[in-house]
Amino acid sequence: MKLVLERFTHNALALLAVTTILFFMFRLMPGTPLAAFINENLNADQQQAMLEQFGLDRPMWQQYFIYLGNLLRGEFGLSFFQRRPVLTILLEVLPNSLILTLASLIIAYIFGVLAGAWLAWKRGSWIERVAVPAVLATRAAPEFWIGMVLLALLSFNAGWFPSGGASSPGVAYANDWQRIASWDYLHHLALPVLTLALYLQGLPLLLMRSNMLEVMHEEFVTMARMKGFSEWRIVINHAARNALLPVVTAFALGVGLSMGGNVVIETVFSWPGIGRLLVQAVSVHDYPLAQGAFLMIALVLALMNFVADLLYMVLDPRVSHGRKG
Amino acid sequence: MRKLAIAAAVAFAALGMATAAFAQGPTEKVRKINLYTWPQAALPQSYQASQLIAQEWRKLGLEVEVKPLQRQAQTQLIWFSRDKWDATMWRMVGRPERSDPDEFLYSLYHSSYAEKGYNFIGYINPEYDKLAEKQRTQLDRDERRKTAFALQEIINRDQPQAFLVHPKYALAFNKAVFKEDTVVNQSGIGIRNIWTFLKIEPLGAQKDLIINSNETINATNPLYIGGAVDSWITDLIWDRVMRIGPDGMPQPWAAESVTWVDDKTVDVKLRAGMKWHDGKPVTVEDVIFSFEAPAGDKAPMYKPFVTDIAAMEKTGDLSLRFKLKQPNTTFLTASLAKINLIPKHIWEPVLKDLAGKPENAEQLKEVSYIGSGPFKMVRWKPTEEILLERNGEHFAAPKVERWIMRIVPNAEATLGMLKRGELNFIGIFGGDPEVLVNFAKENPDIAIRSEVDIGFEYVAFNNRRPPFDDVAFRRALSLAIDRHLMVSAAWQDYAIPANSHVSPVLTFWHDPAVDQLKTGIAEAKKILQDAGYRLVGGKLYYPVGKQEKLTTE
Repeated sequence: MKLVLERFTHNALALLAVTTILFFMFRLMPGTPLAAFINENLNADQQQAMLEQFGLDRPMWQQYFIYLGNLLRGEFGLSFFQRRPVLTILLEVLPNSLILTLASLIIAYIFGVLAGAWLAWKRGSWIERVAVPAVLATRAAPEFWIGMVLLALLSFNAGWFPSGGASSPGVAYANDWQRIASWDYLHHLALPVLTLALYLQGLPLLLMRSNMLEVMHEEFVTMARMKGFSEWRIVINHAARNALLPVVTAFALGVGLSMGGNVVIETVFSWPGIGRLLVQAVSVHDYPLAQGAFLMIALVLALMNFVADLLYMVLDPRVSHGRKG
Repeated sequence: MRKLAIAAAVAFAALGMATAAFAQGPTEKVRKINLYTWPQAALPQSYQASQLIAQEWRKLGLEVEVKPLQRQAQTQLIWFSRDKWDATMWRMVGRPERSDPDEFLYSLYHSSYAEKGYNFIGYINPEYDKLAEKQRTQLDRDERRKTAFALQEIINRDQPQAFLVHPKYALAFNKAVFKEDTVVNQSGIGIRNIWTFLKIEPLGAQKDLIINSNETINATNPLYIGGAVDSWITDLIWDRVMRIGPDGMPQPWAAESVTWVDDKTVDVKLRAGMKWHDGKPVTVEDVIFSFEAPAGDKAPMYKPFVTDIAAMEKTGDLSLRFKLKQPNTTFLTASLAKINLIPKHIWEPVLKDLAGKPENAEQLKEVSYIGSGPFKMVRWKPTEEILLERNGEHFAAPKVERWIMRIVPNAEATLGMLKRGELNFIGIFGGDPEVLVNFAKENPDIAIRSEVDIGFEYVAFNNRRPPFDDVAFRRALSLAIDRHLMVSAAWQDYAIPANSHVSPVLTFWHDPAVDQLKTGIAEAKKILQDAGYRLVGGKLYYPVGKQEKLTTE
């Protein structure tokens, strides 16, 4: 329990650091949010009024403490441009980002783990000689390139999938759950998920494969062989279980990491997610919205980090035992 | 500002005397010029143009460095540090209200805008100021036109900046879905305009117009402008007393007639039978309220459009009179065609509730979408789509059932969507226009329409700083740029040469006399030589006596 608390504090402190860095980073960038309004008939007095309205005329340290205070009360502030609460804006798109990320990760990891184990088993064969470079290639190829190629092939030319968005033009649903469960939504989700999964599967696959190779030389595997178990049973029941541990950590961290890294996929597929919101907010100096979006990503990352820690304790008793000793 | 003007005049006189007095003598080398531009990835045409321009200027013996700056950083430097730069690539964009030449004629060069407004180049000319003010008071269009011509000729003479091109935009629609001749072109704006959206006729089962935007919609609020795309939508939901017609001139819209009684009085007679989307009638009180609402401090973005109104008076069941503080010919375009008509019964309580609070009408949690316009709001998701449906009771009811805008940040994907029918109207294309045109060649259902922009691209000179405080120097630098080369090499023929702040698409206001700008390096060199500049060892030197203490940053 003490350990859980320790890990929790650890992550909370990291979040505070992230918040602070974010706050100052945006304000030290050249340019002000007013620059984006220049073409909108705003005269000097109106600009001043805008600065005051958002507290941008105060010293930076004052702004910082006001910001922290508001955060503690769960207030992320108002977006400069949309003039709506940042939290509302974020929560509108968060489900889309989570679904995209989780669906891709789950597919990538299931495929990666199985294929990795299989490739380890096929060590030295021609399959390995073809598959490993192919996996490396998908990992090295830029996401937007994979995305554009898939779009051109499967959407523009074959016409099997829509070219972008999260649902067909003008289609309405009673609520978000109905929408997410609809065929239309899944149809739109398919290409972005495929792209992201293609990009993500390399890590678990290679990780699983090398872990397997290591584990398969351990004594308990030799022991199992001596017991006369079938090769497949040894792979799945004995070796794979042990090789899986690092992959679990990678998965949890992957959720957080790819949440922020979905910017490219979301832009290519016009997917209404948090990454696109972030890019737009940064480019027009919408501080509250950009901070909010980054913080949301950091929060998911910290949370998943924490979950990974907990999982590890459950899956591998050595982690908690080691600390006690 | 006056001080600056005097200083400039004195410097000028001194310069003239100096060149006359000494034929030869010790002079100072013209320091290195920084030419700011946008990064290649952001605006490839402007970037390419800046490279070509630097090449030409170097031929005059100048040392030129092209410095790309990210958009925000550039704005910060050019707009907020007005004495710290030499020359920059810049652009003015076209908007329907800019179909009246006033905004460019007045704001770009009037001295009162030099410190904080649009005259960021710091051009000071009392003669220009006087004429710019005059055209605002000339109700007689032909008289005003003469003044507009004179203003264009002054700018042509002084070259406070070098105009480059008026870009051409290519937009597209699916002619298998819509009747081709029902698409309306608006001068200087193109086919993406309210007239198209009202008149475009579906041919078959697809009754929805599905258009793209490459940026998120910030707000749908009749009292707030959050971005360019936002106004495409407010345009359709809320009526205005007048609208800018396809010819660029304001025409009565929610009014049957708009008449100038004298140069400070305008009479408006409203259309009979107009209704708000909630079924209540549109009254004179509503119209008066719509012009009163921005006057306080609750709608700062619309306030400038009503400050000229001295009083409003109801003169009948459907008529009212505007009294202006001063004669202003632009009132029809800048106010009557700009202010959204909003229902008093909804907005009066809202504004009352805001009174005395720091918030204003831009930050409302719940904005009422009740207007009287040809489309009604159904729903909007800022990063995804906005959905409007036709208002069948409107006096200009649209032919399409629904107007749907999809947010598509990926330019290539818009083409894919157009092909697949996920879009049937391209409202803005972020990619190379040539790609769109080639796409249409391969897809016979797609029709392309291109139009020259009201806006323009130019090199702004900082008229405050030497050497750009000298007319001869500015003229020489401007004439060194071959506009036809700009059009073909930088804009791939999707532009026409420019030498005026009034676009040739505004045929009535554009002065054809300034079109004949004779460019060429030889011409430019001659101007410099005549003004006393000298080439020594391939480097350009100031005329005798001209000194400056500035440094290149």
